[in-house]
Amino acid sequence: MTAGRPTVQELGGPRLPPPGFGGWLQHVSEVASRWPAAYRHALATRRRRTIALTLVVAALLVYPLVNRFALAGFSRNVFPLPLPDDTIMVFMLIFAAMALGLNIVIGFAGLLDLGYVAFYALGAYTAAFLASPHWGALGFDIHILTTVSSAVPGIHLPFWIVVWIAAVVAATFGALLGAPTLRLRGDYLAIVTLGFGEIVPIVFKNLVNVNFELGPIKLENANLTGGPLGINPIDPPTLFGVRFGAASGIAPVYLAMVIVLLCIVIARNLERSRMGRAWMAIREDELAAEMMGVNTVRTKLLAFALGASFAGFAGALQASYQGATTSDFFKFATSILVVLMIIVGGMGNIWGALVGALALVYVDKALLPYISQRVQDVGESIGWQELADFNVASLNFLIFGVILVAMMRLRPEGLLPSRQRAAELHHAPPTEALGAEALLEPEAVTLEQEVSADLEAAAGAEADRDTPSGGAGTDHRDRQGPS
Amino acid sequence: MDDALVQTLIIGLSNGLIYALVALGYTLVYGIIELINFAHGDVFMLSSMLALSLFLGIGLTSETPLFMAILIIIIVLVVVMAVMATINISIERVAYRPLRNAPKVAPLISAIGMSFVLQNLGLLWMGPAVQGFENVIPNVNVLTTVLGLDTGISITYKQLFVAVVTIPLLIGLTWFVANTRQGKAMRATAQDPNTAGLMGINVDRTIALTFLLGGALAGAAGVVQILFNNATVYTLGFRFGLNAFTSAVLGGIGNLSGAVLGGIVLGLVNAFSDRYLSAQWTNAIVFGVLIAILVFRPTGLLGQQLADRA
Repeated sequence: MTAGRPTVQELGGPRLPPPGFGGWLQHVSEVASRWPAAYRHALATRRRRTIALTLVVAALLVYPLVNRFALAGFSRNVFPLPLPDDTIMVFMLIFAAMALGLNIVIGFAGLLDLGYVAFYALGAYTAAFLASPHWGALGFDIHILTTVSSAVPGIHLPFWIVVWIAAVVAATFGALLGAPTLRLRGDYLAIVTLGFGEIVPIVFKNLVNVNFELGPIKLENANLTGGPLGINPIDPPTLFGVRFGAASGIAPVYLAMVIVLLCIVIARNLERSRMGRAWMAIREDELAAEMMGVNTVRTKLLAFALGASFAGFAGALQASYQGATTSDFFKFATSILVVLMIIVGGMGNIWGALVGALALVYVDKALLPYISQRVQDVGESIGWQELADFNVASLNFLIFGVILVAMMRLRPEGLLPSRQRAAELHHAPPTEALGAEALLEPEAVTLEQEVSADLEAAAGAEADRDTPSGGAGTDHRDRQGPS
Repeated sequence: MDDALVQTLIIGLSNGLIYALVALGYTLVYGIIELINFAHGDVFMLSSMLALSLFLGIGLTSETPLFMAILIIIIVLVVVMAVMATINISIERVAYRPLRNAPKVAPLISAIGMSFVLQNLGLLWMGPAVQGFENVIPNVNVLTTVLGLDTGISITYKQLFVAVVTIPLLIGLTWFVANTRQGKAMRATAQDPNTAGLMGINVDRTIALTFLLGGALAGAAGVVQILFNNATVYTLGFRFGLNAFTSAVLGGIGNLSGAVLGGIVLGLVNAFSDRYLSAQWTNAIVFGVLIAILVFRPTGLLGQQLADRA
């Protein structure tokens, strides 16, 4: 702010609420208190976004009720598109929580994580361990603050505690995974996370007949994780006698909404925090960020841990809601689906991740089965048996794969991009791009570009000398080729 | 050495040679454009399906006379290699070339998308069930039946077949890259595409050639797979691809002899884990090996200075 120029507030102009979710809440309450004249004023001036957001939130809050009590019976034939039912809504929201978490890792910090499903699995299994009869078979019998009868064996904690433990467990493993991968960048990091994402479900699947003896701990043929069958049943969340299980109608939808809202608030606050700015700094240029005093180790570990904690929430919700979990839920394809949500929505943008998640789960679980059914109906009516048996929904990952390739080619920044991320994705640093096309058209290179490229190359060489990993006398463009 | 150990070595070696063929595809592409070509495993999967349908179409059975069988296998091998080379070049054209100047994650994500596309094409083509093929090459122990040795160790015709197909291909590729003009262009492009372009090398064509070679090797690996392991399924590409990629990384990605060494080592790791631990943990062990190498020695066994980029 330049000296001598009075601010809008000092001039007696409208006082702007602070930014962020708190500001939005404050604004809404202020507007409500001055209803309706002020609201008309707000409508007329610049708060169209506020109003739109209010309406969207109101619609989302009311939709499950309307769907349940007014639309459920006849949606199929009346509406041009299928309406999501309770289960689909819960899964849309579970994946929204995961997309928000992965957005922290990929979108904010720029660390490509292809094994995010591992943290989802950890969250789900934590909930399954702490709120099910499973451990009863091994002689554990713990009931704390729970409505489950003490006649039922096993460990039973209320969901409201379990969900936090699940988040902490996921975050701990996130940091554990992060620690050894700090040196790695880009594609190697992607592969390590992918490997981790594969190992975790394998471990859960295989710890069935464990024989182990260490001092007082003795396990003989112990079934730790339920093996391929998983753990079933798991206590549903319960609050004042209301159950939030798969059979409880719309109650779990609102529970999932609360969790997603919590995730949005956390993610927004993180984005605007010192840590959020540090994430974006290392995403754009790790070396420069380090020179500016960003502690890259701590920053990256926190990105992994906090991102993973969201998947912990999502996993605990999935397990408690469905009342069952097995290692088969947690596949590589699920990790990629969450990545795709962020890519479609817009990397680095919270609303993008949210919309991407809701849209893709809707397509996957509602739209494609619906289209499939329609296609089969047509097949039946014209008597084409192959078409009548054809399941379009089984091709979901063919469609998602095409979307991935198409997005990368046409709009790598996603549909609702964050402005910074879009700029980065359209202009690769000169050390990363191959630049082959520019070379084939030498006349396209102007003198100015050449000079700036030279400067950048010089800066790159300079930087390499400063990096301990630069190795003995390597030019930074020196590559290892087939030999 | 006792027989069981030697036997495990032989099994590991023959599987490792197939890994090596696929690993070469990963390492060639990574060496030249620094892209982990996720779709490569699925190219291999499709090639095994193509080989299966060709064998079934021609009607190759274990009853086919030896000379005819060899002829059919050679023809199918050539056809599959050609088709897969074409497919791999098309993939490069569609999914990677437009992203040549984008940040590194863009082609990687594009490759994952391509992998899903190919995998689901495989699903559409052959369905979700494992497709078996009859044992054309007899599973007979050469040592006892032909050489008349009295031993518990067995080397079968199938294992010899794997060696007969893969070893010449591995030698041929290494020779091609080391001694031909095109091979030199490949090495130059890998070292520095900009300078290579200035020296008059057609960079785009050289990269396409790399994908051609990788596709052809994956095609050969697919034919060997269907004759050696007698089965294919649409998820084969993902598992096998990750094993092959691990081999490439193990040997030092970008390094041709490294990929072969890595493939053999990984085949041995697989065989020993299957035998002495438990088959259900093998995948976890392979991924553990992968993570350990990337974290502790990203340059692999034979690689050179890549740590900076890793």
